Amino acid sequence: MINSLFVVNGQGKIIIEKHWRSIISRQIVDVFSDESAKFLASGPINHTASNSDKNAKEVSFTKEDVPPILETSKYLLLHVLRDGLVWLCPVDKEVDPLLVFEMIHRIIDILVDYLGDVSEVSIRDNFVIVYQLLEEMMDYGYPLTTEPNALKQIILPPTIMNKVMNTVVAASGVGQKLPQSTMSSIPWRKAGVKYAQNEIYFDIIEEIDATIEANGAIVSCEAHGTVNVNCRLSGMPDLALNFINHRILDDVSFHPCVRYQKWESDKVLSFVPPDGHFSLMSYRVNLPPQQLLPLHVKPQFYNTATGGKFDISINPRSTDGKPIEKVVVTIPMSKNTTTVNATCNVGQYMYDPVTKSIKWEISKIQVRDRTPMLSGTYSNGSATHETGTTIMLQFQISMYAVSGLKVDTLRLFREGYKPYKGVRSVTKAGKFQIRA
Amino acid sequence: MSDAKYFQRGKIQELRAELNSDKRDPKHTKKKTVMKKIVANMTMGNDMSPLFPDIINVMNVPILEIKKMVYLYLINYARSKPDMAMMAIAMFIKDVEDPNPLIRALAIRTMGYIQVEKIIDCLVDPLSHCLRDQDPYVRKTAAICVAKLYMYDRGLVESERFIEKLRDLLNDPNPTVVANAVAALTEISERSEDIQLSLNFSVASKLVTALNECSEWGQTYILEALLYYVPQEPGNAEMLAERITPRLQHANSAVVLTAVKVIVYLMNYMEKEEDIANLCRKLSPPLVTLLSAGPEVQYVALRNILLIIQKRPDVLKNDMKVFFCKYNDPIYVKLAKLEIMFCLAHAGNVDQVLSELKEYAAEVDVDFVRKAVRSIGRLAVKIESGAQRCIAALIELIETKVNYVVQEAIVVIKDIFRKYPNQYESIIGTLCENLDNLDEPEAKAAMVWIIGQYADRIENADVLLDDFLYTFLEEPVEVQLALLTATVKLFIKRPTAGQELVPKVLKWATEEVDNPDLRDRGYVYWRLLSTDPAAAKAVVLSEKPQISTETDNMEPALLDELLLHVASLASIYHKSPSTFLNNYKPRYLMPSPVLRRTRPATFEPSVTSPTAHHEQEQKEAAAANRLSFNGYDMSGFQTGNPYATDVVSRPEMRQSQVTGGVDLLLDL
Repeated sequence: MINSLFVVNGQGKIIIEKHWRSIISRQIVDVFSDESAKFLASGPINHTASNSDKNAKEVSFTKEDVPPILETSKYLLLHVLRDGLVWLCPVDKEVDPLLVFEMIHRIIDILVDYLGDVSEVSIRDNFVIVYQLLEEMMDYGYPLTTEPNALKQIILPPTIMNKVMNTVVAASGVGQKLPQSTMSSIPWRKAGVKYAQNEIYFDIIEEIDATIEANGAIVSCEAHGTVNVNCRLSGMPDLALNFINHRILDDVSFHPCVRYQKWESDKVLSFVPPDGHFSLMSYRVNLPPQQLLPLHVKPQFYNTATGGKFDISINPRSTDGKPIEKVVVTIPMSKNTTTVNATCNVGQYMYDPVTKSIKWEISKIQVRDRTPMLSGTYSNGSATHETGTTIMLQFQISMYAVSGLKVDTLRLFREGYKPYKGVRSVTKAGKFQIRA
Repeated sequence: MSDAKYFQRGKIQELRAELNSDKRDPKHTKKKTVMKKIVANMTMGNDMSPLFPDIINVMNVPILEIKKMVYLYLINYARSKPDMAMMAIAMFIKDVEDPNPLIRALAIRTMGYIQVEKIIDCLVDPLSHCLRDQDPYVRKTAAICVAKLYMYDRGLVESERFIEKLRDLLNDPNPTVVANAVAALTEISERSEDIQLSLNFSVASKLVTALNECSEWGQTYILEALLYYVPQEPGNAEMLAERITPRLQHANSAVVLTAVKVIVYLMNYMEKEEDIANLCRKLSPPLVTLLSAGPEVQYVALRNILLIIQKRPDVLKNDMKVFFCKYNDPIYVKLAKLEIMFCLAHAGNVDQVLSELKEYAAEVDVDFVRKAVRSIGRLAVKIESGAQRCIAALIELIETKVNYVVQEAIVVIKDIFRKYPNQYESIIGTLCENLDNLDEPEAKAAMVWIIGQYADRIENADVLLDDFLYTFLEEPVEVQLALLTATVKLFIKRPTAGQELVPKVLKWATEEVDNPDLRDRGYVYWRLLSTDPAAAKAVVLSEKPQISTETDNMEPALLDELLLHVASLASIYHKSPSTFLNNYKPRYLMPSPVLRRTRPATFEPSVTSPTAHHEQEQKEAAAANRLSFNGYDMSGFQTGNPYATDVVSRPEMRQSQVTGGVDLLLDL
């Protein structure tokens, strides 16, 4: 099980240190820094060979490339890098690594929920709460209470209102009573929730992961969706959600509140929702090859000995007439590129000489607009062996679900009121890449 | 108002004064502030232990937040100040009787952390009560506390019959209590020599029922514990697996992968092939879904998938595309995906895989490119119908003249020559154009092997070898071995071309180098050539056994062991946990009347594919003994040629023959 957790900033300084079992010396953090530095420096293995090679492409690993589990003489170092902070769990016993990673992710999520964001500053500003949460979320390395609703009854979030409440409660002695939900059969929902206006909103968010050849042939393509819910319903509502076309779903995973048997037998999502924001389900849809992707990017590169020129055009496709927004095209250039000159007819482009990449941003593309184009030339410092590049694409389409998933009905049981219901969908690019 | 201000280095004196201040503090806000400061200092690593006696006084402030901070302090310092810790006992004893279950649980939890003899003595009684507390929150906390106590004092836990009490908790009406009791029992069982958790069908079945109602973490404990259930009757394994499958749809990846582990385990005890096939089909989608999680989770999933598909090839057999690498995947994810792609490749999808691999070979990441090139070669060896196209791809890559790509390609082409003799030798010419830039031992050795093996076809083989021999004494041993053998081959195939090189190399090998393998091999050749050239020919040019990529697969016994460790560190490293963890209790596939016999080991140990062999070599440097014979080209030894073994086993004779041998050889 989890022995200790260290939260370390970019400079290798410990911000939080928590031991649930025996105390592991802080020096382990230095060991970790050394190990990851060693990995970063090692670069590609068999370095000696590529050094002597003029054509060797300079590649340096980034912190993201450090394997999440490092082996050292005494401990195995499991770590997660998130927003510049390293969450490090050293272990010396067999452990389920997924449990550790899930737990770290959960701790981060809960802290985001409590503090708004997780950064060195926000942790320092609220370190007592952070320690209390860590204490409450784990016992002897076993995850204990991780449901946000249950935690919030034990440890109040740091809002001004709560600070006032805190003092009042403090005055009356031990005011906190055992939160019922920690042990009830519905641990995710607290009792006695009351809203003047009962409403529930569903956000269907789909991300397209696609790899596409330069000629437009699709190598792989699938959509990952999540249904996020903002639930503001009083009492103990029991909900049943139907989809018009559940058959398109290739795989689903559910929040613990969903009754799985009901889904198996009737394909109905039946659940008592947690209060507030939560993620009801996530799913995966393999998009059929004949399905048109929202947009088509056509890259063309013409290389010469010392550089070359390129043309990139974007053709919007079927999006039910919805505009494609926040389009960002990122084009990593060869590492010995010296200059880039380009023009675009829509949006704006920027060449970053440090990361050697071009970023082209377009705020909105409509089908009837003229085709956005970016064309230009680049030059290389030295002649280079030509390698392909991969263009990465981001975009967003509101009120559109690429999978076509649609909610049919939402029925409410056990409570008498008529809630206001809303469903929104949005499609985004996930890992959307075009090989050039 | 933020807590950051507490992070100033507080002076012990000031803090003490504030703690003991007589000022009116009806709401204890001042005490709270001081405690925050102390906790802040503690986290910075400042020694706050001198405040111990003063802190004890704060213990009776009836505010949960303060109590929690005090307990945090006690956990931190009680072990280093056992005498002081005694002063806290009275308070603990009061708190475990508190009407508020939160405080009862907190007290028992904290006492479990303070592993000081006197405190532990006082813990025994309350712990027994808490295990039977009316409140489930206290019971579940107490269950974990037993595990803590066990790590401190095994004898005490056994003599106080805590294990039995934990076992009783398995029947608790509250599923979370059951889950925690299971977790504690599992951990104790894994640490203990004489306590072994073992579940019968009715308990296992009860636990599976509790699964539906307990927290996600509780589910992982229960699933994990199900590995201690050994099905004894046909049908039981199927029934349990069927009831576990809903867990595959859980949002928590730890639950999903642990469920996969239990199902794969239960398959060992199933009777009907169709049940297994059915479950295999159900395993694929959730495993694919794990790949859409963060890179850490993906990595763990990929390493485990590689294990599972080796045992159950039906799983994921149609999901090749999800393992295609994304441009910005971290390198560790890419490398893990590549291995799975190779494993899933078959005649039907070889074109698809090959075009992906070619794409990867053009990327910028050296490590990844190498692995991709190597995979193309292995693909050619694995799938005969695709070999032609793989080789065309390799030739294309060699023509890029990128050094490391060329070297990597040469290494795999050697394997291809061995697998498909007399089919692709026309490309030797292309290879020979790239000799000058070879600087990696493996590539050099491979190239030298090719020259030796085809000495009769390569017009200027003697010149090429002579070039390599120029640096013979500086080369790493694997290149030296290859050079030695290649020179002898050249000599046997074309005596005139080799007669100048052979004595030179033999002399170096036997007199100038320290490596015993090289020296021995030198002597063997020398004696063979000097006593019986016909035998030498038979040995050196003997028919080589076929290679296949079958041998890349893991040994079935190790695979079975690792499959019991799916979702663990061992599954990441593909090593038995006993090789990298201390105090580890090994797991076995327990016998039972319904245990399926694992298929007999079909691989032939002597036929090691060189590629696999080299990966193995790094890991098993210790087993040098065996490696020297399975090494580059000891074809004679591998087929058990009597001459060869004879010479090796009689060193004294070897010595006496040396000089005579040289004369004889020079006469040729």
